[in-house]
Amino acid sequence: MALILLPLVFSLVAWFIPSNITRIFGLIASAATLVLSSVAVCYFEPSEHLLIDFGLRFVRFSIDSLGFTMILLTNAVIFLVFLSNFKRSITNEKRFTALAFLMQFGLLGVFTTNTILGFYIFWELTLLPIFLILYWFGSFDKPRALLQFFLYTLLGSLAMLLSVIGLMHATNQQTYEALLAADLSSLGNTSIFLMGGFLLAFAVKIPLFPFHTWQAETYTKAPTAGTMLLSAIMLKMALFGLLKWVLPIFDGIATDFWRWPIITLGIIGVVYGAVVAIRQQDLKTLFAYASLSHLGLIAAALMLNNFDTNQIAVVQIVNHSIVSIGLFLAAGIIEQRLGTRELGQLGGIAKVAPRFAFWFAVLTFVSLSVPFTAGFIGEFFLIKALFSANALTGFLASTTLVLGAVYMLKAYQAPMFGPTINATFEDLHWSEIAVFAILSIAAIYLGLAPQCLTDFVAHSLTQPTH
Amino acid sequence: MDSIVILFISGLLGLFVGMQKKPLFSIFIASLGLIGAGVAAYFKGSYVSPFASYAQFIPTQGLVIILLCAVTLLAMLGGYKRYKSDDEHTGDYFALILFSVCGAIIMAQPNDLMLFFIGLEILSIPIYVLVGIEKGSSRSAEAAVKYFFTGSFASAILLFGIALLYGATGSFQIIEIQSNLAIGIWQSPMAIIGSLFLLAGFTFKIGAVPFHFWGPDVYDGASNSVLMYMSTVVKIAGIYAIINVFGQVFRDSYAFWIDLICIIIVLSMFYGYITAWKQTSFRRLIAYSSIANAGLMLFALADIHNSNIFLFVTAYAVATIALVVVNFAVNDDTDSLANWEGIAWRNPVIGVALVLALFSLAGIPPFAGFFGKFSLLWSAAPHVPYTAILALIASVIGAFVYLRLMISALKKPKVTMPIHLSFEQVLVLVLTSLTTIGALYFI
Repeated sequence: MALILLPLVFSLVAWFIPSNITRIFGLIASAATLVLSSVAVCYFEPSEHLLIDFGLRFVRFSIDSLGFTMILLTNAVIFLVFLSNFKRSITNEKRFTALAFLMQFGLLGVFTTNTILGFYIFWELTLLPIFLILYWFGSFDKPRALLQFFLYTLLGSLAMLLSVIGLMHATNQQTYEALLAADLSSLGNTSIFLMGGFLLAFAVKIPLFPFHTWQAETYTKAPTAGTMLLSAIMLKMALFGLLKWVLPIFDGIATDFWRWPIITLGIIGVVYGAVVAIRQQDLKTLFAYASLSHLGLIAAALMLNNFDTNQIAVVQIVNHSIVSIGLFLAAGIIEQRLGTRELGQLGGIAKVAPRFAFWFAVLTFVSLSVPFTAGFIGEFFLIKALFSANALTGFLASTTLVLGAVYMLKAYQAPMFGPTINATFEDLHWSEIAVFAILSIAAIYLGLAPQCLTDFVAHSLTQPTH
Repeated sequence: MDSIVILFISGLLGLFVGMQKKPLFSIFIASLGLIGAGVAAYFKGSYVSPFASYAQFIPTQGLVIILLCAVTLLAMLGGYKRYKSDDEHTGDYFALILFSVCGAIIMAQPNDLMLFFIGLEILSIPIYVLVGIEKGSSRSAEAAVKYFFTGSFASAILLFGIALLYGATGSFQIIEIQSNLAIGIWQSPMAIIGSLFLLAGFTFKIGAVPFHFWGPDVYDGASNSVLMYMSTVVKIAGIYAIINVFGQVFRDSYAFWIDLICIIIVLSMFYGYITAWKQTSFRRLIAYSSIANAGLMLFALADIHNSNIFLFVTAYAVATIALVVVNFAVNDDTDSLANWEGIAWRNPVIGVALVLALFSLAGIPPFAGFFGKFSLLWSAAPHVPYTAILALIASVIGAFVYLRLMISALKKPKVTMPIHLSFEQVLVLVLTSLTTIGALYFI
């Protein structure tokens, strides 16, 4: 119970503490939630469910092993966001600290709730803090770009609300287990529409190809911490929803109907994102499109709804969080030190900041999915799964490996090597080194021993019936 | 019935107390009357009312009376600053409001169409006066005249509809009309035209498209303090009346009028929200937002027996009152949205209340507005799925309107000049915020 409510308490407390210790408070409090959840995982029997009931009618919580994975990921991401921004003025702001914890609360709710309406409520709750963080700390010159992001998401969410209502009416159930047991085959085409509502919400959030237009602009204008929150954990809500809720519940004609459309969109996203990323001159935009490319692959593979692929997808979800925190931190560091993110205006940083060059290189390789990193396991098996489903899809998906190498090496090479344009570059602060080190260790550990994660989540992934 | 008597007596008392020119006395009496009426409604049935012989005449629901009284109390406290400034007439204003609430209570749950009509007039006439209370302002006078003429016209149409129904069925009693219509009379032209006239009158009263034209002008001309009252209580009473009449009287012709209602809902929501988008004046924005919300409220008609509109109207009323109180505190004279820039920073109470109210109106969980919308759509969606889809698309436009307002209010100004709120304004804002969060209780 404390696991879920603690961030909410912190978010309220944050308004009342003196501003000179806000940054330390944020770091310690987020570390506390991380430690607490780690301890809870140690005592958790993976094959069981941890039920938490506050006596509410529509919202109940039940944590399974997948839920615990996501809790751990959320708490780790929030902690890393605080840690990596330790030397920036943003963590000194009460508003940011409070909103980040509110965000954490909403995310934990999404990952642990047991009722479909609870899922929707927490899903929407996360919009509120991210909206305010982007607005207050982002560099949006006009509210238009911000509203575009918000309304896109809201349109998707409202479609989901309709589907939630329809699903609850159709099955007369609201808990996860009951919905899983309910037979949707009698609904026929209605179930296709219901699933469509969910998929629209997810497609906007992930984002899938035609719904991605909010992404690049929002990422670039957001503060580094906001971008990290968005890409490292908020987008994972959609993949989580697909994995835990939609695919198992709508297993049958609805999934069969949507499988290839979504896979097609995902694959288009993979190729399109990569090609666009190659052409980018702005580091953050480049990473945003890279993110589009990586997430398209996960979404496409998830739609296969295959037990083994789903396990690997979790690894890849965690890996993407690691990569996106690392890369956006690197972009943020460059922007903070030099005031620009344009590749053309950067060069020779490696000579003046060797430590930064080293850690950025490690993260670049993790992102490139070289063997012995989590990305290798993830991408290899996801692409293999897509190959066995359809050779053409698999072939197109595998272009991500080649194109990814092109844009990542370009993003690394241009600022780091080449003629020295930037003579002065303050090297990494200890907090930034700590973040990079944690991320690298996690990525390499998962790359060497992915089964510790896959076996853990396997308990809560349902075996598809077909 | 007790509630009405209490309200009426305290209104009369207020008139006399008002002669003392002590506004504090007047608001004390009026608040006491409203609280007393609410308490009487709460304990209705647990004691023998001295007016028991009338009680069967008006079977009012306790909850609705309490809601009407509470919203009126909030609106009255929120506008107290304005009423106070004119201490010659403070007592009169409060008496007018109390009389008008009597009408709202009668109108909300009648079992007799004649009685309903009387309630409607008791509700409306004091409001015509209240709209015109800014005696020096020509806009206020214009609004009052406009409201009076269009309002009387709508009342006439409504009355005509009632008369036609009487002609078709030979009764004013709702139950009798229903049982007469049920045996097939509803297909007679007289009954159909009667029902259409009633629908037109109702849409006028709650301000839904296509009878919404009076809304923006009247809201714009009325003072903030009156706006708080008329944009909430009139709508609540109106929507309960329409649910009552259409849900009972025209139960059998559901298939006939539900399509019309759907068209009204969709038009109101799109028209209201899209037009609100481009407004520069706060009161006009509230007017268009209330048109759209009136459309949403009509969803309650899609499934009369299961729908629960209480949460939605409560959420709408408290959020609207909070916004108008804020507007009253920051720019009473100019009413321009440009003055809203950065106001959330000028007083923490305003900041919190504003964010909660706007998120609630935009329908973002976990605030009251979301649960209101959810419970409406929950019962309506299976009956009118396509309208529900369109309504959700319109809601996105609506969210845009509210969020734009919030963005401008949250913009951090370079220099912050604190706004001083009077005690009762703080009280109202705190109460509205608590109600907005308190909806969590329903989950």
